[in-house]
Amino acid sequence: MGLIKWEKPDPLDNLTHIQREMSDLFDFLSSTPQMEGYVDVEYPPIIVSMNGESVFVRAELPGIKASDLDIQVVNDILTIKGERKLTLDPAKVSYLRRERDYGTFARSIVLPEKVDTEKVTASYKNGVLTVNLPTAPESKPRQVVIKKS
Amino acid sequence: MEKKELPTVVKKKISSDRCVVTGKGNWYFPLSDIYETPDNFTILIDMPGASIENINIDLQDNELVVNGEVSQEAYTDERVIYNEYNIGHYHRHFVISDAINRDKIEAKMSDGVLSLILPKAAHVKPRKIEVKAE
Repeated sequence: MGLIKWEKPDPLDNLTHIQREMSDLFDFLSSTPQMEGYVDVEYPPIIVSMNGESVFVRAELPGIKASDLDIQVVNDILTIKGERKLTLDPAKVSYLRRERDYGTFARSIVLPEKVDTEKVTASYKNGVLTVNLPTAPESKPRQVVIKKS
Repeated sequence: MEKKELPTVVKKKISSDRCVVTGKGNWYFPLSDIYETPDNFTILIDMPGASIENINIDLQDNELVVNGEVSQEAYTDERVIYNEYNIGHYHRHFVISDAINRDKIEAKMSDGVLSLILPKAAHVKPRKIEVKAE
């Protein structure tokens, strides 16, 4: 809601004021949420993608030390655990604005395919975690040759 | 410090009904913290996915404009099967006052977090006044 300049009371001004309030209210009620789509996602939000070779799980985790991340694969379940720490003591500085959140997190997802748990690798670059899970040989498509009889 | 669980993150899209969006792709407001110490103001901005070469910081008059472009090249040969967040470029601007020493603004990027250090100008720094004995 915007700031409204204070002017000499005038019944007509009052009317425009009410009109403006009402239109703000309608705007508010009819506005779509600023965030597109997903509201109740767990932390960290992830994107799962595949190519023929691997399943990739990516998560945006800015400002986390790689040593504070714990990634495990058991059968076809991937677990990402970690903590986003505050890098400074909040008692020593005075915050003017605070939007970035912190805390511990853990989430598990069921992978879409069987993966080769021995060959799973993870990288962390520019604040994005990428877990590369090569699919197990048995779940890759196999060409079946028809024998001539 | 007490332990806190489950951070939340909301990616706010910069929608075209509020401002003019130019350039390709979607743009988002990155989340940021601003804090003050006796010597500096520091702005921390979360820009996951933006590499150091793709970050542009401009200072025009009183406005500090931060742009970060994010490449989606990694996905070109992949099929996305489940998606919980949107990828886009980042844009945010800050209005700064004369209390900032503009020549000495520093920027650092690590792990997707941009930190801007804005040193205070000499005239606003806390100064200790000594009491002289007569």
